[in-house]
Amino acid sequence: MPCDQALRLTSIVLASASFVGLVLGASLPGWLIFLTASALLVALSRTGNVTAITSVVRLVTLSPTTWNVLVLSGFLGFWIDSLWISGDLLTSGIHFLLVLMIIKLFNLQHRRDYVHLFAISLVAILAAASLTSELWYFPIFLAYMLAGVWTLLLFQLTKDAAVPSAAMRREPEPLESNRDVTPKMFWMANGLAAATFGLTLVIFFVIPRVSAGFYQKGYGENIRTSGFSNTVDLGSIGPIKRDRSVVMRVELPDRQAHEVGRFYLRGLAFDRYDGRSWANQLSHRRSLSEDSPETFTLRGSQSHKPPHHGPALRQHIQLEPLDTPVLFAAPFAESINGRFPAIQADVTGALYLPFPSSTRIEYSAVSRSNTVAPADLQPRPAAYPELFIRHFLQMPVQSERIAALARDVAESKQTIYEKAVAIQDHLSSHYRYSLDAPLAAQAHPLEEFLFDRKTGYCEHYATAMVVMLRAIGIPARLVTGFLATEWNEYGNYYVVRQQDAHAWVEVHLPHSGWVMMDPTPADGDSAVGTLPAWHTVQSMLDSVRLRWNRFFVQYSATDQLAVMRDLQTGSASVRLRTLDSLAALLRPLTAAFETGIDSMTSGDLPHVVKVVGILLAGCGVVAWLVWARPWNWPRRSTGAAGDEQAIVQLYRRMLRQLERRGIHKPAAMPPLQFIRIIQAQWSTAGTAVASITELYCRARFGGVPLTREELHRAQETFHQLTSLSRS
Amino acid sequence: MMNSTQPIRAIHENISRVIKGKPQVIELTLVALLARGHLLLEDVPGVGKTTLAHSLARSLDCSFKRIQFTSDLLPSDIVGVSIFNRQKQAFEFMPGPIFANIVLADEINRTTPKTQSSLLEAMSEAQISVDNQTYPLNQPFMVIATQNPAEYHGTFPLPESQLDRFLMRLRIGYPSPDEEKKVLDRPQSLHPAEDLQPVLAAQDVLDLQAQVDKVFMEESLTEYLLSIVQATRQSELVSLGVSTRGALALSRAVKALALVRGRNYCLPDDIKELAPTVLSHRIMVARTQSLRQRSFEQAERIIQDLVESVPVPV
Repeated sequence: MPCDQALRLTSIVLASASFVGLVLGASLPGWLIFLTASALLVALSRTGNVTAITSVVRLVTLSPTTWNVLVLSGFLGFWIDSLWISGDLLTSGIHFLLVLMIIKLFNLQHRRDYVHLFAISLVAILAAASLTSELWYFPIFLAYMLAGVWTLLLFQLTKDAAVPSAAMRREPEPLESNRDVTPKMFWMANGLAAATFGLTLVIFFVIPRVSAGFYQKGYGENIRTSGFSNTVDLGSIGPIKRDRSVVMRVELPDRQAHEVGRFYLRGLAFDRYDGRSWANQLSHRRSLSEDSPETFTLRGSQSHKPPHHGPALRQHIQLEPLDTPVLFAAPFAESINGRFPAIQADVTGALYLPFPSSTRIEYSAVSRSNTVAPADLQPRPAAYPELFIRHFLQMPVQSERIAALARDVAESKQTIYEKAVAIQDHLSSHYRYSLDAPLAAQAHPLEEFLFDRKTGYCEHYATAMVVMLRAIGIPARLVTGFLATEWNEYGNYYVVRQQDAHAWVEVHLPHSGWVMMDPTPADGDSAVGTLPAWHTVQSMLDSVRLRWNRFFVQYSATDQLAVMRDLQTGSASVRLRTLDSLAALLRPLTAAFETGIDSMTSGDLPHVVKVVGILLAGCGVVAWLVWARPWNWPRRSTGAAGDEQAIVQLYRRMLRQLERRGIHKPAAMPPLQFIRIIQAQWSTAGTAVASITELYCRARFGGVPLTREELHRAQETFHQLTSLSRS
Repeated sequence: MMNSTQPIRAIHENISRVIKGKPQVIELTLVALLARGHLLLEDVPGVGKTTLAHSLARSLDCSFKRIQFTSDLLPSDIVGVSIFNRQKQAFEFMPGPIFANIVLADEINRTTPKTQSSLLEAMSEAQISVDNQTYPLNQPFMVIATQNPAEYHGTFPLPESQLDRFLMRLRIGYPSPDEEKKVLDRPQSLHPAEDLQPVLAAQDVLDLQAQVDKVFMEESLTEYLLSIVQATRQSELVSLGVSTRGALALSRAVKALALVRGRNYCLPDDIKELAPTVLSHRIMVARTQSLRQRSFEQAERIIQDLVESVPVPV
């Protein structure tokens, strides 16, 4: 492919990369996306000389003045846009940028047009960077950088070629270069891009950061959650149970993959039920003390009695920006470690940030669940303090039917714990889980659930259990949070989605404190019907996303300081850390590989076939690239590209060799005439030059492929010429 | 593809036995013949214009006619005339001298525009119409016209649009003293061209002409050729650039030259070399130049300078 054509191509790729970045990052008007995309397509097809489109474009060719008027009106539109329509400088700026890009794409003729396009693309990709921290930015940025290196390289190459011809004709000429993109150059440019990227990574980790993404704050929309405000209507979780957007990712450093099962993440607890909705009347928050830097500990908030604790459970949580300030952790959190100005807690043990975070946050938590104390397994009378009676035994309008049902179910049981378990079992075995339950439109949704419909989802179950427990004098409360079931085996973490929102029950036992119970039966149809291979790909992608967030997006000045400190204390630890990070980044791949091996040995053939198929297809594409050399294609039509390329290269090298000798071939001198010049000026080289030129002419202009011997002969002649010029 | 080198070399040698020291002129004449073009020889009298045409015709085993153009020549003197035949009681067409393979139109600028244009029409259409009857001309058909640049009195210079019909405009020029001596040493008794034996049949010429169409011109060379044509249109020194017909003529001539030189593909050298010969009579030199300078040489020099500014594809 000739350089000028390649430059055009890479410039358009460059613009496309930044355009895609903007499209994914900002919400642009549809017409603008359509216009820009079609401008890019048209520009691209002009590169490929699609005649139909070129002639159409020629029809709409406008004079420079018209274009200038267009730019000016675009600028005017930008002010109108920023003042009245979108009202935001950044948004309207992006719109204006795209308008400029469209205009430039139609006007890509002179070298300065290319420079303008590069500048527009740069601003666009920077704007896209400020708008997002998502994983997709990474490949787009990679593409941008690759195209950028190519473009700059080609721009420089065509500059060398364009300058003399322009000077000769005394007028601005369209880009013109007869050079080709050679395979050597192809690999060189890609290598250069890779090196640049490596350097960028080093700089990213080393250069001090002054601030986090400036525009990122407040721009992206927080995920709308349900069930984490002070009042929750019965049935409000239902609608989000089909939303698959990720809410958080939870790593459990102490747990092995095979130990995982259902994993509860506690959010809020509610004490007051009025028959239609739940409310938290104990939401008075107090700030937690910061024991050591960034570690906040809850003390004695659970209960006044020493609870019987289970083992400590550590969690690393990446929480997406939500519309609620609630922090989630396994029940019951003891301490939170994270970079927060403050953390608050209410009496029920719910944790809050001072305000909802608009960015992704990362923290660790240590939790201990309560186990049932032996004392609670013996029947003893319980006396509850006033607080409990007021809050956790509160009932809406007394319903005899519910109380009768509760007594009925728990009648035969002696202890509080047994009664609670009986109610839980009754609910989970006699009622059917269904998301199709209507919203709380009826006057008594609970009675309807318990006696008429007998289908519902977590909220109905939990509410029913709480009300039934309270009816027989056992203090209980409703808890909302998430029930994680999706374990990502490539990254070893839980993916928690909106659809995992859940409600369950906490029962107060006199000696054990609050104990978690869940009357909701396991959801039978939770598995979404996706292909296993697709699921694998998604899991792998998601595990990469987790690391992307951790190592790039969340990477801050503090992390840099840590790296620097380590550098000072000793290189060994740095090496380990680097290895760790690398291993962490590569883990999905190795895990996939191991899974592949596992499934191969276990005989899960279809999956293996898929993985092997994908690998083979990848290898096939690489092999095809190496063999078919698509970058040579445009010339292939006129003859044997490989040989022609080789001899043309050789001829150019010969010209450079002669140039060193002081014999310059003017641009307007044809090859045979040049032989006569050589014979006149350096007669000893005459035969060699003539022989190479003859082969060159035949292959280049005759469309006759050279045989291997001829090419070999030409190369030998060239070496003779080289030694001749040295002597 | 039939081997074209041998017959072409044979004609070349044949003609150069008569036209001494002018291999380039002979080569260009052959180019015009193979490109199905016509030739305008512009030179002073007595340098062998007629001899060149004559020896070409003799070498080809083709019919040859010569028309001396004078101011009283009529179109019917060229194309022929219908005469009433008393025996047959009908008009009979008597073909004119244009019914030959090689026609020498001597001093073409001496006759009236009407007569000139009758010849030029025949040249471009390869047929003539008399009394609503169309008569095809012989094939191959080539007109070699001459004009004398030194004399202007009583001439009707050909307009540019008519000049366009000629593939190329050539000068023969004086031979070098050595070559001139060889001419003088030759026996003077008979015309030198009379000695020549034909080396090629008319059909061979047609075959060679067909081969010209098959000569390969690489894409970048076409672009190079067009950028030369474009340069003539943009130059300040030229008021009327080369037309598309001119570009087509150059392309054909270049292919023919490649064939004459024994190649089946074109080279940039071919284009660069032929551009002045093929294009110089197709441009109008701008009026900023003085009238004296708007001559043949001036046009040629302008084209040469333009060609020197167009980069050759590498």
